Amino acid sequence: MLGFVIQRLMQALAVMAVMSVIVFIGIHAVGNPVDIVLPPEASQAIRAETIQRLGLGRPLWEQYGIFVWNLLHGDFGRSFVYNIPVLDLIGSRLPATTELVVIAITFATVVGVSLGVYAGVKPASFGARAVMGVSILGFSVPSFWVGLILILIFAVWLGWLPPGGRGETVTVFGVPWSFLTLDGLDHLVLPALNLALFKMAMMIRLARAGTRETMLSDTVKFARAAGISEATILRRHVLKLISIPIITVFGLELGSTLAFAVVTETIFSWPGVGKLIIDSIAVLDRPVIVAYLVLTALLFVTINLTVDLVFAAIDPRIRTGRQLA
Amino acid sequence: MDPHYSSLGTQAEAVNHIFDTLVAADENLQIKPGLAVSWKPIADDVWEFKLRQGVKFHDGSDFDAQDVKFSLERVPVVTGPSSMTIFVRRVKDVQIIDPYTVHIRTDGPAPVLPYDFVRLYIVSSRAAKDYSTRETAAQGFNSGKAAIGTGPFKFVSWEPKGDLVLERFDGYWGGPAAWKKVVRKEIQNDSSRLAALKAGQVDLINDVSSIDYLKLGKDSAVKTFVGESAYVMNLQLDQRPDVMPGIRAKDGSRLAKNPLTDIRVREAIDAAIDRRTMVDIVLEGLGKPAKEVLPPGFFGYSKAVPDPVYDPAKARKLLAEAGYPNGFQIDLYCTSDRLPGDAAICQGLGQMLSAVGIKTNVNAVSKTVYFPAQARGEYSVAMNGWGTLTGEASNMLGSLYHTKDDAKGLGAYNRISYSDPKLDALIEQGIMEMDEGKRRAIFEEAVTKATASKVLIPIVQLESVWAAKAGLLNFKPRTDQNTLAQSITPAR
Repeated sequence: MLGFVIQRLMQALAVMAVMSVIVFIGIHAVGNPVDIVLPPEASQAIRAETIQRLGLGRPLWEQYGIFVWNLLHGDFGRSFVYNIPVLDLIGSRLPATTELVVIAITFATVVGVSLGVYAGVKPASFGARAVMGVSILGFSVPSFWVGLILILIFAVWLGWLPPGGRGETVTVFGVPWSFLTLDGLDHLVLPALNLALFKMAMMIRLARAGTRETMLSDTVKFARAAGISEATILRRHVLKLISIPIITVFGLELGSTLAFAVVTETIFSWPGVGKLIIDSIAVLDRPVIVAYLVLTALLFVTINLTVDLVFAAIDPRIRTGRQLA
Repeated sequence: MDPHYSSLGTQAEAVNHIFDTLVAADENLQIKPGLAVSWKPIADDVWEFKLRQGVKFHDGSDFDAQDVKFSLERVPVVTGPSSMTIFVRRVKDVQIIDPYTVHIRTDGPAPVLPYDFVRLYIVSSRAAKDYSTRETAAQGFNSGKAAIGTGPFKFVSWEPKGDLVLERFDGYWGGPAAWKKVVRKEIQNDSSRLAALKAGQVDLINDVSSIDYLKLGKDSAVKTFVGESAYVMNLQLDQRPDVMPGIRAKDGSRLAKNPLTDIRVREAIDAAIDRRTMVDIVLEGLGKPAKEVLPPGFFGYSKAVPDPVYDPAKARKLLAEAGYPNGFQIDLYCTSDRLPGDAAICQGLGQMLSAVGIKTNVNAVSKTVYFPAQARGEYSVAMNGWGTLTGEASNMLGSLYHTKDDAKGLGAYNRISYSDPKLDALIEQGIMEMDEGKRRAIFEEAVTKATASKVLIPIVQLESVWAAKAGLLNFKPRTDQNTLAQSITPAR
């Protein structure tokens, strides 16, 4: 097992290294940020001085070397635009994204799985068909459009909910959270719903397929024969059997949504990391973009690594198989 | 929130609520007294500034010459990539004569110094003393500890790209502002911004798109404010004789030389542009046909420049005379996300040029891609906007038309390799001329000459739209497009 863990750790490190190089080269290819942020009246001397001060004139490999060296010392650099350490900047935005994503995914899972199980148990009913129809909509309608429609209906026409922003926050252990205040919750509803719709559609389909399969299995047949009530069968057996793929997907979706809640955050001006990255790309704030992408890669590598290690712990075939290969 | 870190538009607008400048600019970018009540050159390279007395900082302390000296000297130390150094580049040293008089020595005659100072904010020397290195500056100003100014509003809180919360400063020297508390939000997305207004979350929004502007005309709950902008969209025609990326014959073969170096071709392009239609159709009326890369009324705007005439027949004739009876093919580049209508104007240009035989492939790209690529010289034909935010011509002439000259610090935005020694001499003469009347005459002559070269073809002067809840407030649009709480007053 130890050998397997070390091997997977090495792989993860290699992925991170490759990823950081790709990010670095990619962002370099776009162009020199100085051409965007420098004011029009700036003279050549100022331009040259700025390039020199930011270290943008050095060869790419040297810039990369400095970046990695600083990274190893826990320093991601400072934002060009705000003169704030990048890690602080991203850190200050993380709670907003985290609460939005966790609420959205939890909501999507609870509602999606319930609806999916229902649709799986009574596939022919009108309700089940309606659920499936909605889930197709959830898949196929673009998220930014849904967001705008939500704003139009609930904020502009009905005036029930705010159209954007984060609302009042409460600071717990130095971190501001908005789900603890009424005003904050108000602000959370629409973006969370917008973010949840796509995931919910997926959960519905996943749960329905799993339920239909399980309902035909011997386990359920025998349980029925033994006179156990339908409700107990659903709770004790079906839900348990379909939960493995759902938990896997939940974990992966949590990661990808954390990293890419960009569209929802932009439309609802939610001050999270997704909006930060879009704003930073607009002005080529290189340190922020690079750090964000590297951290995102780290997030996925960590998730995958954890999944692999957990599976390996459960199923010995995986680690021996790897070792043989 | 450090006013000396970045001169980026939104940043400069935000800090303008908290800090004052020595020289202020009115709605039309004409300069007027700010923290300085008067200024005059007392030698060729010395300016005397008399300071306003009785001005208080937000912490109750007095403003005096020490704060001016401190602020001017602080800029080069803490400035970021969007450099503020340009506003103090001419300053050699600052001498305090008495608490309300300073002498500023420059590196040679600097007649535009007062214009440079329009965007130079004065901070409190006491409050900012400990926050004046590159590492500490952000911390001190973002937390508000050092963000002590003399402006109409006090700093309450701020988060990057998020809300800036301000509170009225009752001791403001210009009289208290109309609003007790102001929250400035940054909402990037056009639709979201409009929704925020319609849902009553905000009271005033800026940068309303031309499509939304049309719709809002029918909405009695919303009032719109339209103001002229300092931005003029212009077509930039590369003058490198041999290098011509994106220019080729209609069949795709290479041309012998860059057709844009021929004045007849440039005149043909000029005559092919129907500016009236551009404004009426493409911009929904939100703009004005432009004939110079400078809005009317700015210092140096020339009345001698003739109005451009739309004449496609003449354009075809000129192209034939220049040796291109069948026209040629160009790639036209422009930004798609920088100024209102930029991509639409570009599309319009593409059709108008194609109509006279110059087959045009339009590429509207993000500014993130556009500016670095243009700086690398990858575009032969490009269109973007130029805003003369200083309100006078040397800014535009020196950056766009002067030969690229690193030593003199001129021609930094001359992306078309244009060079006319006579024009250069004229511009340099104007920059050095201390007499205002003479300087105006020189700039007007230079603008006339520069415009006649047709290397930059002005298209339209943009207009900017704000929208507010009807009956709530009055707002005076500014040419620099800044949205300042102090220029908003309650209705009635």
